[in-house]
Amino acid sequence: MIRLEHVTKVYEGGTVAAHDISLDIQKGEFVFLVGPSGSGKSTLIRLMLRDEGVTRGKVWVAGKDITTLPKWKIPYLRRSVGTVFQDYKLLPNKTVAENVSFALEVLGRPRSVIGPQVDQVLDLVGLADMGGRYPKQLSGGEQQRVSVARAFVNRPPIMLADEPTGNLDPKTSVGIMKLLDRINRTGTTIVMATHDFAIVDAMQRRVVALDKGVVIRDEHSGKYDQGQA
Amino acid sequence: MSRFFFLLREALVNLKRNFLVVAGAVLAVFISLSLAFGALVVNEILRLNTLAWQEGVHVIAFLQDEGSNGVPPGAHQALLGEVESWEEVNGAFYVDKAQAWVEYQEIFAGQDELLEIDPTILPASIRIELVAIELHQSVKFKLEQQQQVVRRVDTAAEQIEQLQNLSSVLNVLGIGMAVVLGVSAVVLIANTIRLAIYARRDEVEIMKLVGASNWYIRIPFLLEGLIEGVVGAALAVFTVWLGASRLAEASEGFALFRLDVSNQFFFRWGLLFIIFGAAAGVIGSLLGLSRYLREADGTGEEIPTGAA
Repeated sequence: MIRLEHVTKVYEGGTVAAHDISLDIQKGEFVFLVGPSGSGKSTLIRLMLRDEGVTRGKVWVAGKDITTLPKWKIPYLRRSVGTVFQDYKLLPNKTVAENVSFALEVLGRPRSVIGPQVDQVLDLVGLADMGGRYPKQLSGGEQQRVSVARAFVNRPPIMLADEPTGNLDPKTSVGIMKLLDRINRTGTTIVMATHDFAIVDAMQRRVVALDKGVVIRDEHSGKYDQGQA
Repeated sequence: MSRFFFLLREALVNLKRNFLVVAGAVLAVFISLSLAFGALVVNEILRLNTLAWQEGVHVIAFLQDEGSNGVPPGAHQALLGEVESWEEVNGAFYVDKAQAWVEYQEIFAGQDELLEIDPTILPASIRIELVAIELHQSVKFKLEQQQQVVRRVDTAAEQIEQLQNLSSVLNVLGIGMAVVLGVSAVVLIANTIRLAIYARRDEVEIMKLVGASNWYIRIPFLLEGLIEGVVGAALAVFTVWLGASRLAEASEGFALFRLDVSNQFFFRWGLLFIIFGAAAGVIGSLLGLSRYLREADGTGEEIPTGAA
């Protein structure tokens, strides 16, 4: 589903965010990218989203080499990849339902399809009765659920999450992880960057550990720290 | 179709949300186009008046009375015949002393003290229409050679020529002003759209994130620019039309200068100005957007994001 071949990313000024990384992520996998701040987790997420270009190597997403993808085709890539971020990235002037339906309206889906699909996904994330509220009227956990709903409403085969629990307390984080786990069970491939060891240890999924832009560990049912494995 | 209405709704909501910035852009277009349209109307008024003044009498030759100062009877008709034969002259007619008195009474009707004159002092005259206004000097010179019959030669041709020159200058100025003000309207709209896109950078980022194409992101901004341009231009056309109409009404009894410009003129040029306003809005929006959205095509700068 996602393949990185000898990917290197060097930023202006010479900072190496990724060095010769090769990864193969299968359909339906749940992969944690772990490591300290600056290890290159978020960079890998951005490379998979073509938010950044690689310096060297190839990135394949859903069977396509996205490193050679023309710029105008990037929106089509992003329609098949749901994204969740630490800061939720919700539109404050739109209601919960409008935030979620926005992702479908952008794709030009008819209203007759958008309504039921939004209701369904809000029900899935446990916000069925909050469609009319605005983001500022919600807690952090609820806002992140809206963000997950928006990422999943289009039923993308891949979901990328960059520190989705970074702003949440442990209890709320567990709720978000249960939600992501549920989505993963529908066959959606999930790649999640995190440094929340409790979550990684509890989930017992594939762990790719990074340090200074290099993969130092790749375990199929791993824990946050090697010593615990 | 539902997609278009969604984009239109987005544009209208954004116009409402950024009311002050939008009002600034509309005002800028309004001022620019009002000045340009006003200049065009002034030019039209001058053109109409030049045309009106050009029609009819250009030169008047006031004549010595026949039978006095050695002017033989029949000299007036002889001169009229000669004048009519000149190639510079399109037509000429004779106004005798009795007709001159009738004309005088019409001009000074109600001014009794001016009417208490001896009608016989009014001279007969020959009224001449020229083939072309530039020929007035040649005709005047020829008439002045007839010193025995011609008492004085009056001509409005110089004033008409001055008016024509003024009209040409105003034409050039009007075109220049329209170009400069048109460009400033485009630049102002570009800046407004740039401000709007900056104010909504998070929204644009999210649109990109969920897979919106560049054109999809552009369309609401283009619609905004289009609406701003059309509203500003329509206001400018309406204001100038209203001003000119009021002025024409107020000067109805003023015979010397025409201020009434036809509604056809306003319709034709008004429509062109509104189309120009729409084009300025769209071009301004494209310019404002290009800097940020070129990034998605791989050449521009990124939208500065509020979030990390």
